[in-house]
Amino acid sequence: MRGKVRDLSFFLSPMIIMVFLFYLIPLVMTVYISMTRMRNWNVDRYLTEFVGLYNYDRLFYMFQHDPTFKAVVLTTLVFVGITLMINVFGGLALALATFFINEKSASSYRLLWLLPRMSPIAVYSLVWYYFFHGSEIGTLNSVLMHLGLISEPIPWGQVIPWGAWSIIIFVNGLVGVSFGMIVFTSALNQIPRELVVAARVDGASSWQISRRILIPMIKWHLLYVLTWQFLSLLTTYPHLFLLVQWDLVNRDYGTTLALYVFNTAFGRGEQDQGLAAAAAVILSIIGIIGGFVTLKVLKFERMMRRPRGDF
Amino acid sequence: MRDVEARPKRYEWLILLALLLASLPLLVGFSLLMLSSFSTEMVTNLDPGSFHFTLENWINLFQGKIATTGGIRVNIWRITLNTLIVALGVAGVVTLTSTMAGYSLSRIDFKGRKTMMVLLLVLHAFPGVALIVGVYLLYRLTFPESTGFVGLYSFLYVILARAALEIPMSIWLMKGFFDTVPWEFEWSGIIDGASRITVWRKIMLPLIKPGILSVALFAFLAGWQDIIYVRTFLIYQTLATFIEANIEAEYSHMPLIAAAGTFYLLPTIIFFLTAQKLLLQGYSGGIKG
Repeated sequence: MRGKVRDLSFFLSPMIIMVFLFYLIPLVMTVYISMTRMRNWNVDRYLTEFVGLYNYDRLFYMFQHDPTFKAVVLTTLVFVGITLMINVFGGLALALATFFINEKSASSYRLLWLLPRMSPIAVYSLVWYYFFHGSEIGTLNSVLMHLGLISEPIPWGQVIPWGAWSIIIFVNGLVGVSFGMIVFTSALNQIPRELVVAARVDGASSWQISRRILIPMIKWHLLYVLTWQFLSLLTTYPHLFLLVQWDLVNRDYGTTLALYVFNTAFGRGEQDQGLAAAAAVILSIIGIIGGFVTLKVLKFERMMRRPRGDF
Repeated sequence: MRDVEARPKRYEWLILLALLLASLPLLVGFSLLMLSSFSTEMVTNLDPGSFHFTLENWINLFQGKIATTGGIRVNIWRITLNTLIVALGVAGVVTLTSTMAGYSLSRIDFKGRKTMMVLLLVLHAFPGVALIVGVYLLYRLTFPESTGFVGLYSFLYVILARAALEIPMSIWLMKGFFDTVPWEFEWSGIIDGASRITVWRKIMLPLIKPGILSVALFAFLAGWQDIIYVRTFLIYQTLATFIEANIEAEYSHMPLIAAAGTFYLLPTIIFFLTAQKLLLQGYSGGIKG
């Protein structure tokens, strides 16, 4: 028994230290800051002054009266909702499409679609900065002008709300599609081959095989990708940050709540960490509740079998 | 055997065409960026007349001349080194932590194991990037007073903080890899009197080398691609913050920034071309029980 404790402390210490320092302590600190008036990181002045739910009251008031904050909340809802659908169904479409073609081409396309996730965020943002640029150097503007659909360049990201929303959804949609693609591809490859061949011999088309065999058999994975990506999209902002920073998209309609937290705490001009922390706490509560609901719905406990043969 | 014999060839070209069309924005966007780095003008407007071949963007980048006029200079190699230090640091911390924790979660039965695994899943589902306000306060409160250690501390902190984001998923990946090893290997070592640590180090790690490489690769890319944490915690410039700053600068020459972007993209492309199995394996491993 003492040997096991020693072994476990060796193997688990690094993880426990990391989780403690960078998840649990920051969570407590974020909650605490949300109950102070902390601004401009003036730790000496504000850290010892407790103001209760003042910042949460301010958030609620802003939600009712501040058009900027309303835009942020609305952007979050639209962004998460639509990007989630793109991630799930785009990933499914890619997985099914590559399932029905030769393996060499399939691997090439899967790798290509990993590119958004693998690329440095600054480079990825740079690509779409040029693609959607509001001047004549923008690729989209250039295509539309060549086709005669528009006569002069349009700064798409400043067309609110749907111009800005379309860009942030598109850019993040491409990043998230790869997650679904990989999960579904792995799931499809585990379906017994005999089922597909038997259906094929009976004359079933690829469409029929997809609808009646493949998709029903990966229902769990569909639910998994849906819930996981929802939680991820709720709190992600790195791929949005530069699009807003570089003024490619409108600040209010290009900012989700997660990006609002970051910019309010660290952005230009006056920084309001108390308010940012309160918004972060609300996001965290949604995220943690969502996480536990996800685990229950997905029945993850079945995957945590005890190690057999341990002695 | 993979639905080969019975599948009609009739519609494969149609699927391939659909895939190509769906992939077109990606192909066009990245290709135009790379092409622009070899041109005197941006070619993102799809105008062939805009392309005039030159290597001047790359020469200027490597020499640190980032403006077409004036004397602004940067040391791009130092900036690249900073980025590499962060990426290698994140890869090292994540790989070490996840191989140790992954082994114990896979092979050792103990009270609290299930709770710990649930916690990791929740942390995985809920990216810690939302807690950056708290992470920064911890940074401020622990900041060294001696100016000599400030730079070193900022490197250490950004590496650990960024690594923490990857640890929940990496541990799950690593546990999945350990789960694939037959128990007989474990038993043979223990029966011979080896300790758990010896079994882990001398028997198990060599057996899951591809898994370790996969996790290390992902962690490296996570550190390499980051912009939020290096921007918030690191007092030195990285390729990410260099590009961020220069897009906004009035003096910036866009084709040169395109060269910087392409340069920054090189490790991704290299891994893309050489480590395909590792990448696909790593991504799909995460959901195994």
